[in-house]
Amino acid sequence: MKPNIQKRIFDYLIKNNIQNFVGVPDSTLKYFIEQGLKKNKILISTREEEAIGIAVGMTLSESPSLVFMQNAGFANSISTITSLVQLYEIPLIFLIGWRGYLKNDAPEHEKIGKVQPKLMEILALDSKIITEKNWKASCNWALKKAQNKKPCALIVKRDFVD
Amino acid sequence: MIRKEAIKIVAEKISDNPIIAANGYLSRDLYEVHDKPSNFYMIGSMGLASSIGLGLALKNKKKIFYIFDGDGNLLMNLGSLITIGVHKPKNLIHIVFDNGSHESTGGQPTESKNIQLDGVAKSAKIKTFKVQTKSELIKKLEKIRGITGPILILVKISKSKKTSKRVNIEPTKIKTRFMESLHN
Repeated sequence: MKPNIQKRIFDYLIKNNIQNFVGVPDSTLKYFIEQGLKKNKILISTREEEAIGIAVGMTLSESPSLVFMQNAGFANSISTITSLVQLYEIPLIFLIGWRGYLKNDAPEHEKIGKVQPKLMEILALDSKIITEKNWKASCNWALKKAQNKKPCALIVKRDFVD
Repeated sequence: MIRKEAIKIVAEKISDNPIIAANGYLSRDLYEVHDKPSNFYMIGSMGLASSIGLGLALKNKKKIFYIFDGDGNLLMNLGSLITIGVHKPKNLIHIVFDNGSHESTGGQPTESKNIQLDGVAKSAKIKTFKVQTKSELIKKLEKIRGITGPILILVKISKSKKTSKRVNIEPTKIKTRFMESLHN
């Protein structure tokens, strides 16, 4: 996804009252994170589960929060999602960079990348692929979910190989 | 001193302040000895009490948050000490009840006796204290009233066969009553 779209997504979410952006960096989301760092609104944690924990604490304080991570880190966090976010019904928005979407991505991303859509389905965590064309509608969808106290995920395809 | 005794001492001493209690016997003991709406009982997500506490402390600067953690729990999320040390919430007090074991799963050993957990916290720039007895614990809780956080107290406790009942509140109810308590 182009740098300027990623930046606009960040600006749009913050304008729409997402107050905290907690997570672990991912190259697919590089420009989104860069924009947040520039505005001093990013908290980087040591692991993805830790990021979720911090964001849960913030959300319990009625301060709407987003957690960003790579899909590999999302896989790390499954138990936290089921036994904390879903069990207690905490309305977090996940922003996930999807490695392994392209077949020629690095080998460590191949297997988990392939099952990413199924993983969301099995976990029953509502998600949308956010693109350069639908980004605003996707953000609105996620913001509405959060307002209705439901967690959800926006997924960014890694559409390049470096 | 066993965990349940230590938990009772701290919970009674800190009156109405919110507590994030780690999963397993820690939450169960707290529920049995001092239940109140401002207790956030964790059921799963082992290791994350310290992180939830950090998020809360950063967003509610007027309240003091207590984390009730165990040695096994903390070892699962040691990185949280770094994040707490970096963000320095003044209103966060991390109490680690250390019995050197995973008591909730059958008393298997942790490695806390072979390392200095208080040393790890200190190197993360957290004000750290260690206590071994009930009277030391009571004194320390009084002493830290005049100190700004983040603070960690490592409370050495002995193992015990006494177990408390399960937390008998729906997780969503635990959440809503905790959130309401933050308005008071």
